[in-house]
Amino acid sequence: MFKETAKRFKATAPLLLQSALFRQARISTIRVGNSVHGHRYFNVSCILNAKVLPRKKPRVKVDIPGLERITYADRMHFVPGLAKPFFPVWERDWNDPSHFYSSKLEEMPLHKEKQCFIFSQSTNPLEGVRQALWLTKSNLTKGLPDQVLSLVNNKANQMENLDDRVQNAIRHACLWDTTEEEPSREKYCGTLVRNLLHLCGSLQATHPGLGRRIFAEKYSLAATWSRGDELFQVRGKNGLLLNSMDPLPVVAGKEEIQNTADHILETFYPISPTIDLQRVHVYKELSHTGFKDDYPYPHAHTLFILRAGDTLVNLPPEQLRAKMIMFAFGNALTRAQTLHGTKAGVLEEPIVVQSVATDGQMFQFVVFQLNTTDLQPDEGVKNMVWIDEDQLLYDSAIVCPVLKRKVVHV
Amino acid sequence: MAVCSRLPLQSLIHKHAHVCRTVRIVHTNAATEEPVYPPVLPSLTAKSRSSKGRRIAEHLEKIRAADVHEKLDLLTRVQRKKYVLYPQTFALNADKWYQHFTKTAYVPGLPEKFIVDEDKEKSVPATNNAHFSIDEKTFGDIRSYVCHSILQENWYMKKRRPFLQREQEHFVSPFLRNLISGLTHTLAKHNPVLQLSSLDFDPQVNFYWMRGQRTIPRGHRSGRVEPIRFQIDDKPHSQIRIHEQLTQFVPLEEVISAEVPEIKLAPDLLPMFRRQYENNIFTGVKLPDPLCHGHTQFHMVPDRYRRDKMAKRNLTDQVEVYLRANGIASLFAWTGAQAMYQGFWSRMDVTRPFVSQAVITDGQYFSFFCYQLNTLALSVETDAGNPRKNVCWGTDSFRLFEEVKDGAVVGLDDRVLNLLVQFLLNK
Repeated sequence: MFKETAKRFKATAPLLLQSALFRQARISTIRVGNSVHGHRYFNVSCILNAKVLPRKKPRVKVDIPGLERITYADRMHFVPGLAKPFFPVWERDWNDPSHFYSSKLEEMPLHKEKQCFIFSQSTNPLEGVRQALWLTKSNLTKGLPDQVLSLVNNKANQMENLDDRVQNAIRHACLWDTTEEEPSREKYCGTLVRNLLHLCGSLQATHPGLGRRIFAEKYSLAATWSRGDELFQVRGKNGLLLNSMDPLPVVAGKEEIQNTADHILETFYPISPTIDLQRVHVYKELSHTGFKDDYPYPHAHTLFILRAGDTLVNLPPEQLRAKMIMFAFGNALTRAQTLHGTKAGVLEEPIVVQSVATDGQMFQFVVFQLNTTDLQPDEGVKNMVWIDEDQLLYDSAIVCPVLKRKVVHV
Repeated sequence: MAVCSRLPLQSLIHKHAHVCRTVRIVHTNAATEEPVYPPVLPSLTAKSRSSKGRRIAEHLEKIRAADVHEKLDLLTRVQRKKYVLYPQTFALNADKWYQHFTKTAYVPGLPEKFIVDEDKEKSVPATNNAHFSIDEKTFGDIRSYVCHSILQENWYMKKRRPFLQREQEHFVSPFLRNLISGLTHTLAKHNPVLQLSSLDFDPQVNFYWMRGQRTIPRGHRSGRVEPIRFQIDDKPHSQIRIHEQLTQFVPLEEVISAEVPEIKLAPDLLPMFRRQYENNIFTGVKLPDPLCHGHTQFHMVPDRYRRDKMAKRNLTDQVEVYLRANGIASLFAWTGAQAMYQGFWSRMDVTRPFVSQAVITDGQYFSFFCYQLNTLALSVETDAGNPRKNVCWGTDSFRLFEEVKDGAVVGLDDRVLNLLVQFLLNK
């Protein structure tokens, strides 16, 4: 008897668990994040933080032709010994969003045999910059190009009291922005970037060309290209984009571009370059800048990426640099495809896109130059990337001094 | 006959003596005597009215003597139940109530500094305003930039359909951010104050004050008189902070003709609700920031209070009332917090007026408000003989553009741009 009860309990236990988890799923959709800690759910009577089991495949019903199934359908109740009747699927004649059942992947209209690898804003590529360089067929140069550095050193571009103003901007973002003790990292990361951008914007008095730019938040990028046999896409929202009416001047001259043809792309066998990318069979081969064709600011100037942004994924510095390279490349590629069509080839006028990423203290700078859209073969002219990595803006900005064993820790 | 004359008595007295001229009593310090006994003061700890009075007086002395940081701490330390005043409120006719709570007189229109064109067609750019002048080219650039920002959010950018009740955050918020940063940077050339300003997005402004009193109706403290406390916790869309205070619109002691409405009903009837939590006084940044004065605040009307939603609830007349209430409450909180950061409080009234501006918009309609804080003395004891009142100037809402159609902005109104430029050029 105990064995039977045990069997029945085992049969019903997963159902109970699943119904509780279903309710928990509904709870967690309402709450932000998946934590049930500290909340009381009176409609659930069993454990809330059990492991979510994968959905079991439903038992396949085999229809033997010629064999008539005697069911209890006309009896209107279960009869032991008779088969369970199969009722036709009822479909609601209007679209109720709270009762939505998606069709199988194979039956979706955009399903394709060929797989596609998608890089999105929460992708955490294992090999970081090396993987990004292989995917975008690029060459890496450490340090920023001379063109950019000369702008930095130019006295005409500097403003008075720069040090004081930057220090005040940092203090405002990291120390003074809240009624609490100190603001959270997500908050001060965004505030710091906005403060520094406001400082840069005040240079518009002396450089009227800065007025020909505009910011775009929450724009969605879509870029498609094929490398070797695989199809790759860069998709989604990534950060704050500064668009400009005028394109950025080309960094590397024709000779340097031709010299890149001699370089060999670094592969990292046995790891595939498609690792950590989302593999999909349902996709649309789309290349879209995120803006309509007659947009008055068509040239992407700089992309500002915050450490987390809208996602919950905090990328380490190496992966953050990879993200910068991928999205800068995506922007440049879509621009090239808009100008010259989808035909692959070496560009006569390379497209330059810059990117800045930060986690509130450490800054990464990337300049990307797209020289070619012919990305299928591994040989040929490569694109170029300049990276200035791990630049600390300040050593520390803390509200209370850190005390260890009654000694102030610096 | 001898001439009748009066002989001076002095000469008789001093016939043989030395004649003293009138000795002026030279002002000398009276011989100060050290008091032998200490001054007779009421006790500090006794359970008596005079003792309570002395304790209160000592506490006030302590506050007066403290520096700003400690002053704010002492004034906001004790937590009691207080009415929470929401600048963006559903309450009907809230502007009159808020004027009473903040002792603000509302003057329709803007101060003489700003030129508001009456007729839409005849509006000219701010070229002929004596105070603010920019050239035609800059105004043309600003106009095209504004058109581009509107079109970017509503036309050019590929966007998904917004989530329900989140249209303002989807379309208007990024447009406003672009507009404000673009305008500030363009006009920084003409207004040096904006060069060194700071632009905050999603700041927090808090203010705590006491106004009026009530008799506690029930409980162990029933029958006693206590002040009515208020708290504003405001979250503007963005604000510009500057180093020096804006110049005043009217002198501090000027008598304003507009009256502060008096409301004899309890604040509960607005409705307003009481809660007890941290008493915050905050301008958006903590005390050490050098950019402690306010220039302009920008507020975005949330989805619930958009014109079409208010019309559905048959509250079309409340649209302007809502905007006024928002302007008065937000600006009072901001200027009050700025004044308290400078060390003024209700028993040490402001010696110079604190001035700030605000623009409230729902993306299409813009309203402009100017506020001058003349007095912080709003509590019962300090308000007794106080002739000063705070002043708020405000306009009705102007429509910036009619609609976005086929990639073009239809019906762009230069008056609104004019006023925005004038507001930002104020220093």
